[in-house]
Order: sequence, then structure tokens, then C-alpha cells
Amino acid sequence: MELLTNGIGLTAVVFLPIISALVLTAIPKSQELLIKGFALVSSIVTFVLSVLLLPQFDFSNADKLQLGNKITWIKSINANYEIGIDGISLPLLILSTFITVLAIIYSIEHLPEPKSPKGFLALILVLETGMNGTFVALDLILFFVFFEIVLLPMYFMIGIWGDKTVRSVAGFKNQIETRLYASIKFFVFTLFGSAFMLLGFLGLYYRGNKTFSIPELIELGTSGAFTGTFATLVFAVLFLGFAVKVPMWPLHTWLPDAHTAAPTVGSVLLAAILLKLGSYGFIRIAIPILPEQAKAWAPAIAILSAIGIIYGSLACLAQTDLKRLIAFSSVGHMGFVMLGIASLTPIGINAAIIGMVAHGVITGLLFFLSGSMAHTYHTRDMGRLGGNMKLLPKTGALLGFTAMASLGLPGLAGFWGEFMALLGAFNPLDGLNVTIFRSSMVAGAIGTVLTAGYLLWMLQRVNLGEPSEEWNEMELHDADGYELAAWIPLVILTILIGVFPKLIFGATNDAVVSLLTKAFGG
Amino acid sequence: MVIQWASYTSPLYAFENSYVVDKFSIILKGLFILITYLTFLLSINFIESDKYYQGEYYYLLLSSLLGALVVSSSRDLLTIFIGIELASTPMFLLSGWKKGDRKSNEGAIKFFLLGVLSASLILYGFSLLYGLTGQLVFSEISTYLLSNALGDSPVLLLSSILVISGIGFKISVVPFHSWAPDTYEGAPLPITAYLSVSSKATGFVALIVLLTKVFATSGQSWGVILAIISGATMTLGNLVALQQSNPVRLLAYSSISQAGFIIAPLAVAGITGNYQDGIFASVTYLIIYAFMNLGAFLSIHLFSNFAGSDNFYDWGGVAKHSPLAGVLTTVFFFSLAGIPPLGGWFAKFVVFRSLLSTGEIVGISLAIIGAINAVIALVYYARISKVIWMDELKNPEQEQTFEFQNPLKVVGAFTVLITFIAGVFPGIFSYLGEVSSIFFGN
Repeated sequence: MELLTNGIGLTAVVFLPIISALVLTAIPKSQELLIKGFALVSSIVTFVLSVLLLPQFDFSNADKLQLGNKITWIKSINANYEIGIDGISLPLLILSTFITVLAIIYSIEHLPEPKSPKGFLALILVLETGMNGTFVALDLILFFVFFEIVLLPMYFMIGIWGDKTVRSVAGFKNQIETRLYASIKFFVFTLFGSAFMLLGFLGLYYRGNKTFSIPELIELGTSGAFTGTFATLVFAVLFLGFAVKVPMWPLHTWLPDAHTAAPTVGSVLLAAILLKLGSYGFIRIAIPILPEQAKAWAPAIAILSAIGIIYGSLACLAQTDLKRLIAFSSVGHMGFVMLGIASLTPIGINAAIIGMVAHGVITGLLFFLSGSMAHTYHTRDMGRLGGNMKLLPKTGALLGFTAMASLGLPGLAGFWGEFMALLGAFNPLDGLNVTIFRSSMVAGAIGTVLTAGYLLWMLQRVNLGEPSEEWNEMELHDADGYELAAWIPLVILTILIGVFPKLIFGATNDAVVSLLTKAFGG
Repeated sequence: MVIQWASYTSPLYAFENSYVVDKFSIILKGLFILITYLTFLLSINFIESDKYYQGEYYYLLLSSLLGALVVSSSRDLLTIFIGIELASTPMFLLSGWKKGDRKSNEGAIKFFLLGVLSASLILYGFSLLYGLTGQLVFSEISTYLLSNALGDSPVLLLSSILVISGIGFKISVVPFHSWAPDTYEGAPLPITAYLSVSSKATGFVALIVLLTKVFATSGQSWGVILAIISGATMTLGNLVALQQSNPVRLLAYSSISQAGFIIAPLAVAGITGNYQDGIFASVTYLIIYAFMNLGAFLSIHLFSNFAGSDNFYDWGGVAKHSPLAGVLTTVFFFSLAGIPPLGGWFAKFVVFRSLLSTGEIVGISLAIIGAINAVIALVYYARISKVIWMDELKNPEQEQTFEFQNPLKVVGAFTVLITFIAGVFPGIFSYLGEVSSIFFGN
């Protein structure tokens, strides 16, 4: 087990998927079974490897970065291949490897058009390398590279396998297919954020003794090396880079388009993991390196989060498209995550992390379900759906369960993140404007009511009632084995986290407390 | 080359310091030779496919290569001028190679007229310099300038402006760029690739050498001019590229915009005096750009041959006929856009790094302009990938064989390899950093 602890284990978790993707491209197209089998096996091996790291991880020292290594990478600019995980990144890393396995299981039988398993599965694996890498990177440049690697596969996933509905979009003369518009919008928005983020990283590099190492920069930052206009500017660009990815209101507009256009698996990965890269960036980089600026910006972040929560829920109430509704619900849920982060308290940031995991599990499942339903009914229009419980009892039951989890029912995973984020906002870090935070908390509380409102309304429109006559003629298939194999683990996880939140807090709490103590003092 | 490299110990000077063989020049020579070799490979099938004069074609390309090699080693005004002209004169002929083609003729004439103009500007700049100092060799010019305290003389500044304008034509920066799209479109495709890579690189090398070895003392003034040129070049090139439907014109404008990125570090280096970082960034960018741009030309060559159309919007879904060529195209174009882990990101990164190195306001402004431009550029770079992968096939029934000749495969393999290595292990460029420090040291 020596092998797992000195960085090789983590490295394998990061690079195994991309190497498998390369091997995958070498398998001839005709060997479809081999392609699918190989992708599945490699994702499972990656997942097992990430789980094998658990016993090696020293939970009593969860605030320390572990299992990592540091090797020279680009000598001339002092960027290193520095990796490691602590209690904050561990749950996210495992979530990422886990969801990828489910995504591949689902894809075995349910490939979106145009079918081309080789390309599609290879892109999922490349995506996984980017996601895992971002969670383990401890060097700003390494982080940046992984952060960006996810863009290309997601762009192609949306653009090639996405929704082909033609619609007119402001700014385009002719009507354009949803997938084409959504894919480039996603790419441009995220690149815009990260281009500036890179400038911010360089700023830190020059003021911080020419190092890109995150732990070293945290030491410098907490000892007050970054101050004044410089620090404000750097925080502003980092904020831009991460907030686009989260996405925070008003930078969220790419998200509904991307989610709606993406193929089912694309939406799942986007919601479950990619959005977390942004909020993770806040927790790992922006706040610990620039604590004073984080404090100054916290009220603004809280207000934007509160707006995001309310806006997301109101937008959901106006949707007729099932997938778009879930997409907007992500804006609301990520609003809770950011509200928790903005409070800068242990309870708030713990809430953010469990909220991230829960959102990944629950919204991932919602996208699986809605994608599968869209495939069965050939429509996502909630006006035409209805009586789903009678037509597709298994899918319907799962949809009911997941919607309950998503609205924050106590006992299920969604509850902790929302509840504790509100608690955190009630009592933010000393010195933060309490009025603003409590107002945000009230807004958030109203948001939970609205969330319950739109989810229940959605259930009423989709699940309940009598099926419309147009489905009489059609043969509708309820969930098959592959679908259930992908979904049931998420259901179990939702219940487990709901009942034993300590699964997550056990890992995160020490790390969060130590992060905040370092940043803001005892 | 290899022998020279292996036997290298210390810089060798010849002809009274007017010709030097140091690490810097050896690396650049290696680059020029490689580019020319790849251009040959690109040309083989192209030239055989029509009634072109093969012998002269290769002869002229080699002459141009000789010019480029001279430029990278010359350290006096006359030698460098001869080098610059030797590198570009054969290109006047080669760009008009498609005799019966009106566009080719038009492009060649424009190129020729502006090329002559630029030569005269450079020469005028040199003559002022010679008049001021009475010296030809760089080292003696700068000694003279120092000992007579002529560092901020207006004549020196005027001369530097003339030289920048003259070389500005060669590297096609705004406002001296107008010939490039027409010439690129008219010239045979391998020549266009060579023009956009090697000719450009020759111009840059000349510019780097002249600005750092001769005009270093008036850096404050030309730095600002270059900064303005750089910002304008990036922005204008990008905005016009957005409108293009001809892939060659698109790459022409994209290479104009990339030129803006390459001179940005020089501009800031001039202002701050931190030449080492600036040269490192420019040269690294130049090398990575050379290979990914050659690759990009290769891929549009393949697809325009296959689809029989010079409008890339007609290329809908062609990647399905040859996924290999499709992947190559994607790699090169996204690398040009600077998306990790492809080489282009490191090129952009070192440029940003050198721009921000001193916190100078000009550098920060250029970095912000550059960041915005990187995003704009993505839109048109991604468009080609979008068309070839995502759009519907024009004639699905049509069974065509996709021609991907072996020499072209070599070019593709080589350039894609460099693009990936540069992106994943950019550490190999560290050496260049040391070299640029040595370069500026002596």
C-alpha cells in the first residue's frame, strides 16, 4: 500500500481515465462491445482506486494535505506537479469517480444520437481526468490546466450529441440548433472567466515570491502578504473565474442553455461535478489565499447568492420544459452553496461542501430521470406529460423521491446543505454585516419555500393525473436494468448522506475549521 | 546542425563580430530548417498535382531558408538586411506561383510592392543609424551610443520607428497587415503556410535582435509604440477573422492576431528593460505557434481538397469521412485558441507572465486586452471544429475516398506531437529561458 500513499495512487486516479480514452480511440469502431466494456472497466478501476485511498487517508489529520507528492514540472516558471487531498477535496474526488462510473453504465444502452460510443465514452473519460485533476491539484497552474481540460469534452458532448431543436436566438440572424448555440455559449462564458482567473494567478505569483504552490500561497496570504488594490483586483478576477463556473447570478445564463441542450449524461456530469469546480475554487484558492478580501466581498457574494436562490426558483416556476426547470433549480441550489461559503463560518462551509455533494447526487439523478423520460416520450414539455406514475411507475416513483430530496426534505441528503447554509448565514463570521446576512438568510428561507413549490408543482404536472391520450398508441418502456443500475446507487447515497451526514462532515469538518482558523484567526 | 550543437562550447564570432553562432541562433536555425522541411513535405503532392516548375520551387524555398538562417546569426546592419531580403524576395515569386490564377497574381503584386516599400523603410532606418554612429556592427553601435550619450537621441528614435514599420510589413502587424490576407489566399497553400510561419518568424527574429541589441536605449519610446501596435493587431485581426468564411483568410487574420501576442512581451520589455523575460516569451510563443499553425494549414489543405470548396461552411460533417484528420484539425485549432493541455496555452501563458512581470500599467492593459482577445478568438477557432464535427453532411450518400498522403501524415504526426509535448511538458522550454538570458547577457 506504500504505492498509494506517495502520490502514485492519486496520480493514477487522475490519469488513468485519459490514458484509457487514448487506448479507446485505438480500438476499431466495429468492436462496440469491447469499447463499452473497456470504458466501463477503466472507470470502475478508477473508482476503486479512489476508494482504496480511503483507508490510507488519515482522518484524524483531515486538515492536512495527504497522499500527495511534488515533482518539478515547468522549471522556468517554478510550476510544479503538486498534488494532494484533504478532507475538503476527498468527498468531491470520490463523488467525481463515482458519478463517472454511473454515467458510463447509463451510456452502455442509452447512447444519444448520433450513436458513436467510441467518441462519446472517450470524451467522458477525458472529462473525468479534468475533474479529478482539479480536485487534487495544489499548484495554481496545474489547477488551471485541469480546470480548462474539462471544456473541450463538454463542448463536443453538447455540440455533437446535444439537442437538435431549432430555435431563434437573439443576436443570430437565422434560427440555430440549440446544441450549437449552447455549446459555444458554454465555452465562451467559461473561457472568459478563466482567462481573467489566469491573470489573477500570475498576479499572486509575482507578489508571492514567485510560487504557484497553493499551500505556500496560503501561508503567505494568511500572514498578510497580499493587500490593497492589488488584492482587491486579484480577488475580483478569481471571483469572475469561479463565479462563472458555479454559476452565480448574473453569470448563470449559459447554464440553462447548456443543461437543456446537453445529452443526458452530459447534463448529469455538468450538474454533478463541473459546477462544483467553481465553488471548490472559492474554498481551496480564493478564500484561504485572500482572506481579508474574502471578508470584504462576502456580503456581496451573500447578496448575489440570495438573488440567485430567489431568481432560480422563480425562473423554475415559469418553465414548461422539464430539463430547463431542473437546470434553473441548479442555480438556486448553488446559491445555497455560495451563501454557505459567504458566511465564512465552519458551519457555512461544511454546509457548502455537503450541499455540493448532495446537489451532485440529487440533481445528477434528476437529470438522469428527465433525460430518460425525454427519450421515452420524445418531449420535455410538462404540458404534455402527465400521469407518469401510471405510464412509467418505476421512473415516476424515483422522480417523486428525488424531487423530495431536492426540495430539502429532512432525512435526505438535500436537507443538510440548505439548512446549515441558512444557519451559517444567520450567524456569519465576526465583523461581517449581520443585517445583510440575515436578510440573505430570509431570502434563502423564502427560496426553500419556492423550491418546494416548483418541485411539487412539477410532480403534479408530470407524475400525477391521467395520462394524455397521445401516449395511448405508443409503446413506452419503463426503466431498464442499465438505468436502474445507474440510478439506485444515487438513491442509496441520498438516503445515506441524509441519515448519516457524518459521512461527509467526518472528513470535511477538521479541514474546514483549520482553513478558517488559519485565514481569520481563532 | 546536430554537429554544431554537439560541439558547441561558447559563442563563436566571425567577420569582426558581424556574424555570431550562439545557442540562441542555433535554436532558431533549427526551427527554420524544421519548418522548411515540413513545408517541403506539404509541397510534394501539391506541386506534383499541377504543371508547376518543381526545381525552381524548391530552389526558391531553400534560398528563403538561407536568408532566415543568416538573419538569426547576423549582428550587423548590412548582413541582417541582406538576410531579411534574401528571406522574403523568393517569396514574391513563390506567392505568384499559380500563374493562371488571378488571385495569385494580385496577391503577389501586392506583396511585392509592399515588400519593396518595407525594404526601403528598413534601409532608411539603417542609414539614419549609420549616419548617427558611423558603425555597422551592433556591438559597436551600442558602445558608440553609450559613450556619446546618444541613447535618447531623436534620430535614434526615428530610426527605430522606421525599422519597426519596415519589419512590421514582414510580420504583418496592424497597420501594415493589409497585404497578408490577399497574398495568403492567392499563394499555393504550402507557401502560405511557410509565409505565415517562417517569414513571420524571420521578421520577428530580426526585430528582436535589432530592438534589443541596437535600440535598447530608446526602449521607453518604441515600447509604447509597439504596445499600441500589439493591442491593435490582436483586436483587429480577431474581429476581422470572425467574419471570414474562407479558411485561408481566416488563418491569415488569425496569424495577424497571433502576431499581436508575439510582440506584446517585446513592447513591455522595451518599457521595463526586462528583456530576458520578454525574449523568452516571444521566442517560446514563436516556436509553439510555428508548429500549430503549420498543422492548421495542413488540416485546411486536407479538407478543402476533399470538400472541393474554399468556404468552410461547406465542410459540414466532413470529419466523419476521416476522423483522424478531424481530430488533427481540432487539436491545431484549439491549440491556436490556447486551450490546455494543447501547446497554445503555454505560449499564451508565458506571454501573460512576461506582461505582468513588473506590474507596469502598459503590461497590465495589454494582458487584459489579450485575455479578452483570447476569448474572441475562441469563437472562430471553434467554428471550424463545429462545422466539421457537428454540422450535417452535405452529401451523405457520396462515397469519396479521403486523400491523406504519407508525406502529409508525417507533417501531421510531427506537428501534433510537438503541440502536445509543448502543452503537457512545457518544461522543455525552460532551456530557452536560460538561452535568452545568455543572449541578452553578451
